[in-house]
Amino acid sequence: MNSKRRSFIKYASLAAAGNFIGLRPFGALNALAQSPTNYKALVCIFLFGGNDANNMLIPFDTAGYNNYSSIRGPLALAQNTLLPLTPTPNFALNPNLPDLQTLFNNKNAAFVANVGNLVQPLNRAEYLAGQNAPTNLFSHPDQQLEWQNAAQSAVTPTGWAGRIADVLGSSYNTNATIPMITSVAGDTLFCNGNATSPVSVSPGNLGAANCSEGTECTARQAAAQAMLTFNSGISLVQADDNITTNAYSYAKTLSDAVQSISPLTTVFPSNNSLASQLKQIAQIIQVRAALGVQRQIFFASLGNFDTHADQLPLQSALLAQVSPAIAAFYNATVELGVQNDVTSFTMSDFARTFQPNSNNGSDHAWGSHHMVFGGAVNGGQIYGTFPTLSLGGPDDSGSNGRWIPSTATSQYAATLAQWFGVSSGNLPTVLPNIGNFTVNNLGFV
Amino acid sequence: MKDMRSLFVRAIAVPLAMAAVFAISGCNLAAKPTPAVAVSGSAQVRIGSTTTFIASVTNLPTTSVTWQVNGVTGGNSSVGTISSGGVYTPPASLPSPDTVTVTAISVSSPTTTGSAQVIVWNPVPSISAATATLTAGTTYALEVDGTNFASGATIQSGTTSLSTTYVSSTELQATITLPSGTTSLSVSVLNPDPGSVASTSASATIYLASVTAASRLLDQATFGPTLSDISTVQNEGIDSYITQQFNTPYTPLANIPATLPAVCLSANTAYVCEESEWWQTVLTGNDQLRQRVAFALSELFVISSDTDDGRTIVFYHNTLAQDAFTNFYTVMHDVSVSPGMGAYLNMLNSAKAPTGQIANENYARELMQLFTIGLYELNQDGSLQLDSNNNTIPTYTQAQVQAFAKAYTGWTYATSTGGVPTRYPNSTPNYTSPMVAVESEHDTTAKTLLNGTTLPAGQTAEEDLTGALTNIFNNTNVGPFVCKQLIQHLVTSTPTPAYVARISAVFANNGNGVRGDMQAVIRAILEDTEARAGDTNPAFDGGHLREPMLWMTNYLRAVGFTNTDANGSYYSLSNYSNNLSERPYRSGSVFNFFPPSYVIPQTTLNAPEFDLENTASAILRLSLADSLVNNKITSFNINLSSTSTLGQIAASSPSQLVDTLGVMFMHGQMPTAMRTEIINTITGLTNAAQRVRVAVYLVITSSQYKVIH
Repeated sequence: MNSKRRSFIKYASLAAAGNFIGLRPFGALNALAQSPTNYKALVCIFLFGGNDANNMLIPFDTAGYNNYSSIRGPLALAQNTLLPLTPTPNFALNPNLPDLQTLFNNKNAAFVANVGNLVQPLNRAEYLAGQNAPTNLFSHPDQQLEWQNAAQSAVTPTGWAGRIADVLGSSYNTNATIPMITSVAGDTLFCNGNATSPVSVSPGNLGAANCSEGTECTARQAAAQAMLTFNSGISLVQADDNITTNAYSYAKTLSDAVQSISPLTTVFPSNNSLASQLKQIAQIIQVRAALGVQRQIFFASLGNFDTHADQLPLQSALLAQVSPAIAAFYNATVELGVQNDVTSFTMSDFARTFQPNSNNGSDHAWGSHHMVFGGAVNGGQIYGTFPTLSLGGPDDSGSNGRWIPSTATSQYAATLAQWFGVSSGNLPTVLPNIGNFTVNNLGFV
Repeated sequence: MKDMRSLFVRAIAVPLAMAAVFAISGCNLAAKPTPAVAVSGSAQVRIGSTTTFIASVTNLPTTSVTWQVNGVTGGNSSVGTISSGGVYTPPASLPSPDTVTVTAISVSSPTTTGSAQVIVWNPVPSISAATATLTAGTTYALEVDGTNFASGATIQSGTTSLSTTYVSSTELQATITLPSGTTSLSVSVLNPDPGSVASTSASATIYLASVTAASRLLDQATFGPTLSDISTVQNEGIDSYITQQFNTPYTPLANIPATLPAVCLSANTAYVCEESEWWQTVLTGNDQLRQRVAFALSELFVISSDTDDGRTIVFYHNTLAQDAFTNFYTVMHDVSVSPGMGAYLNMLNSAKAPTGQIANENYARELMQLFTIGLYELNQDGSLQLDSNNNTIPTYTQAQVQAFAKAYTGWTYATSTGGVPTRYPNSTPNYTSPMVAVESEHDTTAKTLLNGTTLPAGQTAEEDLTGALTNIFNNTNVGPFVCKQLIQHLVTSTPTPAYVARISAVFANNGNGVRGDMQAVIRAILEDTEARAGDTNPAFDGGHLREPMLWMTNYLRAVGFTNTDANGSYYSLSNYSNNLSERPYRSGSVFNFFPPSYVIPQTTLNAPEFDLENTASAILRLSLADSLVNNKITSFNINLSSTSTLGQIAASSPSQLVDTLGVMFMHGQMPTAMRTEIINTITGLTNAAQRVRVAVYLVITSSQYKVIH
C-alpha cells in the first residue's frame, strides 16, 4: 500500500511566502478602510458532530485509492463514484458534493488538509511522549469549543471571531447599527468577544415580535421594555433583561433595513436547514449599507455528522445538503456583486477514525480536511499536508487513524483573519497560540 | 339657612321677654323657677353600638335641645356623632381621650345646657378567617382577618395571649409554636380596655407552606403551579407533598401501534404520537414530580427522534418515569439496555470487532462523559480536583473508552416476545423490550476499566455490562456530576458548592447505607435550605431560566386550557416549542438542547438554559407569548375572555387582576415596580379581556417570570 506522505508543493511555497504576505497588505489597509465600498465578510459553516473528512477528500490515484479502500473496508466509497478534481488529479470528492467540485475546478474553492486543534506543532513521537496537546481530545463539546476559541481548552470564554470583532470594530464598523457578528445558528462561543456580543437571527424571522393588540401594541411594548430597566438584584433576571433589551433593538434595526429590498433571484434549495441559514446571511449582506457595516462575520451550522453507525447513507444525506446550499450561497454573492468580498469556510469537531468500527461507522478522531470558498480564495488547490493514511503510521495519534493535525486551527483562522483585516500586531490578540507556529498565513485567500 | 336663623332668633327672644315680665311684676325672685337642662344616659358605649341620651329641660318654655359632642354640634367622625333625638354613635375607633362629653343645649335658652360623660369602649372583634402557616420547624405565622380589631388587640390561643402585630382593623399577625402534627387551632381576638372584649373563637386553617413556598416548590417539582396545587401543597406541606408524589402511580405514555393511529397521521411518523402523549402527560398527569424528574433525566440521558423511532421513545420515557424514584444504578442499567438509547448511541448491534475494525466507542464514551462522571475528577462539591501542577485530572483515557466499548458488545433487538434472536443483528426492531445479548457477538476478552478494575475474560455480555456499569456507578464523580445537573434542572443554575456537596452526600449514602437512592436525592434537592431560601427572601439570588417547553407548560397549567383537536392530539404544541429550539425528545444532538456547562457570555454565570436565549429566540418567545394570550394555539382553547375568571376580576379591578397573576405566576412575589407598571398599562383599557391579555403577556414575557427564582 502506498502510505507515502502526500505533500503539496503549493503548500511549501505559499507557506513560505505567507510569512511575508501576512505582513505586506496592511500598509494599504487603512486606506482601504476609508472606502465606502470596502466590504468583507467571513462565513463560518460549522459541521457539528465531526464530519468524516476521510470520506470527503479521497486519494484518487490508483495506489492512494487502493490504500484508502483496503483500510476503510465497509466505509470505502467506490472509486468510480468519486468526483474528480481537475486541478489536483490525485484527489477526488465525495459523490454528494458536485457543487463543491464545480467551485473547486473553477478555482473558487480550496481545501486545507489535516487541520485541527493544536497548541504547538506536534508529531507522533511528541504526542505519545505527552507533549503539550489540546485538552479533551475526542470529546465533542471540547473540540467544538477549541475550534471556536482557538485555545488549548474549552474554558477560554471568547471565540476567535469575537476577538476579531473586539479588535476591528473601531476601525471598520464605526457607523454600524448591529454587531459585527451575526449568528444564524444560535448562541455559540465562536461569536463572543471580550467586549463584543453577536446578534442572533432566526432564519426567516428577521423582524419584530408579533402583536395582536391593535392600537394597544405600542403601550404593551413600552411597558414590556420599561420592565427590562427595573433592577431586580437577581443575576439571571438581569442577564435576561440585557439579552431582551438588545433583541428589541436589533429586531427593529434589521426589520427597518430589509423593509424595501427586492428579494434575491438566486434560488436556494428548500427543506435544507443550511440553505435557509445561508439565504438569511445573503439577505443581510444585501442590506449591508443600511446596516452601516464594512466587516461582518456570520455563523451557520449543520448537525448530525456524528456517524458512529451506518455512516455511508447518513453522511451522504448531509453532504447532499451542504453541496447545493453552498452553491446557492456563492451564486447569491455573485448576484450581489460581493463574491470577492465574502469568504466562507468550514469547521467541525474533528474528523473520524480512518479505521471503521463494527457498526459501519467511525469514531471520534482529530485532524480533518476543510473547505474554503469564495471569489477571493486561491482555489483549485489543496493546502497543508495530507496525512499518511496508515494505521499507527507517522500521522496517527494511536492505531485507529486519528490524525495528528499538520496544520493548526490557529493557522487556518489566522489566514482568514488577515484577509479580513486583522493586522499582524493584533494577530496574537486574536489567536494567542499563533506564535507557536512558523507560518501564520497559509495563503489560501 | 334663612329659616334656621329666624327660628334661632325667636328662641332667644322668648326667654328675654319673660325675664322682663318677671322683673316688672316684682314677684318673689327666690321662688322663681330656675331653667335647667339635665342629661342622662349610659356611662359607656361600645363601638359598633349606640346609646340614647335624654335631656330633661325644666323651667323653660320648650324642651327642645340641640346636641353637641365635645363641643361640636352633632359631633363628628372623630368623637362620634349624635342625632337630634340624642342617639349617640361612637366613632369607628377609639377617640382620644376615650371619654367624650355629650352636651344638650336648650333651644329656648342657649346658655342653659347640661352634659354627661360617656366612655367609649372598644368594639367586639369578629374573625372572618384565620390561617397558621408553617415557616420553619414548628413555628407558624398566624394571620387573623376580620373586623373591629382595635389597636392593641391580641390573638388568643386558648388562654395564651400571643405577641401580636396590629396590621389594621381587619388584620392581625403573630407567630406561634405548635407541636408537630397539629391539625387544628382555635383562636380568638381580644380587644383591650376600655371595654376589653373577645371575639368568638374561630378555627384557624393550618397551612404547612405559604403561598410563596408552595408555588416555588411546584415550579421546581412540577410542570407548573396551579391554584389548586398551590392549595394542596399549602395544606399538606412540602415534605408530605413530595411523599405523596413519590407514591402517585405513574402515567404511562401509550404505546404506539405498528399501524399508526389517526392521531399520528399529521406527519405520518410515530414521533407525532409520542410527542402528543408527552405533552398531554406532563400537562395533565397527576404524577407531576415523577414526570418532572423523568424530564430532567431525559435531558441528561438524551435520546432524540432525530434518529430514533417514536415508538421506542415512548418505551424510553416510560422507563425513565418508572425508574425516576428508584436507584440511579437502575436508571443507568435500564437506559443502557433500552432499544432507544441502543439505537441512538449505537450499543445496539455493536458486535465484537472483526480484524481491521474497532468496537463502536459511542456509548462507551458518552455514558461516562455526559451521563455519569464527566471529563474531570471532581470534589464532592462539584469543583474540579487539581493535581500538583494545578491541572485538571481526566477521569478516563482513550484506552478505557475502548475497553468499555468492548464490554458493551453483543446487544441487539429482542424478538417480538422479548427473547434472544437466532440471527445477529436482529433487523426486526422491537421498540418496547430491552435489548438482549447474543453471546457469540460479545467480545469476551478481559477489559481494564476505571480505577484499574478488570473484567475477566470469558464473561457473558450481561456480566460485563453489570461489571462495567457498577464500575462507573461506584465512581466518586457520579454524585457531584449528576446531582449538580439535577439541581440545575429543578432548582437553580448556580448552586453553591456546599449545596452540591450536601446532595452528593445523600447520593453517596441515603442514611441507610444505600448509594444512589433517587427518592432521597430528590427530596434533599427540593428541601435544601438553598432551594427554599427564596420562600422567605425574594431577593435570594438564584433560579434558572424557564426553558421553552417548561415555559409553555407553566403557562398552560396556570391559566387552564381545553384540547379541541378532533383526535385529542397535543402534538401542535411541538410546532410552537420548536420555534424556540425545543420539542420533546428531539434534541439536535446527545448534548441536549443546552449543555450543562454553558456560561452566559461576558459573565461567570453557568446557566445552561441560557444557551437557548439570544436576541433571536427572545423575539420568537415574545411572538409565541402573543399567540398564547390571544388564544391562537392550534388544537387548544385558552379562555382569557371577559367572562373568564380572570376577565371578571379584570373588569372590576386591574390591581386585583395583577395580584391574582402574581400568585398564579410569580409565587406572590411580583416586585412593586412591575406591579405598578402593569396596573398602569391596563387600567386605561376598557375591554376586560384585553386587560387580561396584556397583563398576562407582560407577566410571562418579563425576565422576572422567565427566570424561576
